[in-house]
Amino acid sequence: MHPSLRFALVPAALISTPVAGHAVVYLSIEQAQQAIFPGGKATPAPVKLTAEQRKAIEAMSDVRQRDDDVRAWRMTGGGWFIVDQVIGKHEFITMALGLTADGAVKGIEIMDYRETYGGEVRNPAWRAQFTGKTKAAPLKLDHDIKNISGATLSSRHIAEAVRRLLALHDIALK
Amino acid sequence: MNRRAVSFLVAVAIAASFCPSPSALADEHLFGWVRGAETLPAGHADAYQFITLRTGKREGVYNGWDFDTEVEYGITDKFQVGLSIEQHYFRIRGNEELDDLHQYRFGGIELSAKYRVLSPFKDTVGLAVRLEAGYLSHDDVAGLDQEETYFDPEIIVQKNFLDDTLTFHVNGGVQFAWGKKPAEEYDSELTLHAAMGVSYRFAPNWFIGLESHIRSEFPEFDFGHHEHTVVFAGPSLHYGAEKWWATASYGYQVWGEGNDEPNIGKTFAEEARHEFRLKVGFNF
Repeated sequence: MHPSLRFALVPAALISTPVAGHAVVYLSIEQAQQAIFPGGKATPAPVKLTAEQRKAIEAMSDVRQRDDDVRAWRMTGGGWFIVDQVIGKHEFITMALGLTADGAVKGIEIMDYRETYGGEVRNPAWRAQFTGKTKAAPLKLDHDIKNISGATLSSRHIAEAVRRLLALHDIALK
Repeated sequence: MNRRAVSFLVAVAIAASFCPSPSALADEHLFGWVRGAETLPAGHADAYQFITLRTGKREGVYNGWDFDTEVEYGITDKFQVGLSIEQHYFRIRGNEELDDLHQYRFGGIELSAKYRVLSPFKDTVGLAVRLEAGYLSHDDVAGLDQEETYFDPEIIVQKNFLDDTLTFHVNGGVQFAWGKKPAEEYDSELTLHAAMGVSYRFAPNWFIGLESHIRSEFPEFDFGHHEHTVVFAGPSLHYGAEKWWATASYGYQVWGEGNDEPNIGKTFAEEARHEFRLKVGFNF
């Protein structure tokens, strides 16, 4: 290498200090169930959606239903617990949604999050916005859900997932 | 505006209309040459290194290396500023138009500001405006001494589809430059430039894309005085992780036309046949 070329590469070396990246798993399925339904018991109740059900969910929520397989559990007392994945900026975000027996949001938990910005989606205050929402709620950023600056994509996709899962409950779980 | 300037704008419009409908991330570069409309969140910074190789003229050996080291900082969630240092390394031999050279040259310093008007993740379409200004002490063709100052306003449009996994970007700008002598025959120059690209996230962390950029130069800010126009196109591959990202891209000169150059559908006076670019960025 020509000596002066080495000089040109000095800035590259300076900013090339490796930065460790790692997957952060905050909650297991059992921990998420207990966080939303304290003391509740869960019975697995997986669902395979039909093509018609997927279309109906998409029509009701205006959100794409990517998977046929629904990871759902029936909770004691009649509620539902659903684990879902939404598209983050780089990777999937795994979230859990708890629904009351009458189909209102009891709570959401972010089980893992691996994006550069926007870890605030795990803040209890931001997640509490969803509590009590039903299929009639808009669940749209800057309407009934506050945006998180720097994590607009994640905030919107989580809000859309809740809207979609409320529709899914109405169509496939009731 | 003369026929060539009109042709440039028409070419941009046609190319844009043919690109499939299409996210950049908080100023994470999905492409080598095309920019996205996102900005850094307030209080956050990133740093990146570009390494570009421009190679291949009509004759001889031409390798022009560009090393662009840049830091950016989010002042607000919609407004970021940047500072970059540009350096070059040239290996030129056997080209009738250029002196043989095998040497490093300091390129210059550039400042930039970018304001996001609309978010591609929230609004119907993403829109940002960007202004870059700089001082360049050596030209990037043959490393000749110069005292160039320039400013370059640019508009960035971005549209996202399929849950933000398919994104389409169009950039357009005008560069006003002074002090180009003696690297160029004229002191001042206006450059119209545009770029467009489509990117798709085909797996978690991985994005593949196609991009094109076009540039047309007019000495002395005179649309009646066309110097050259060039169009590059090629693929890009991007990997984005939580704290860092990398992008590799290639551009082939698909068409070019220059004053006083043979009419062969290529221009080599200031351009090369191939452009390779590697970017590595880190988020803070």
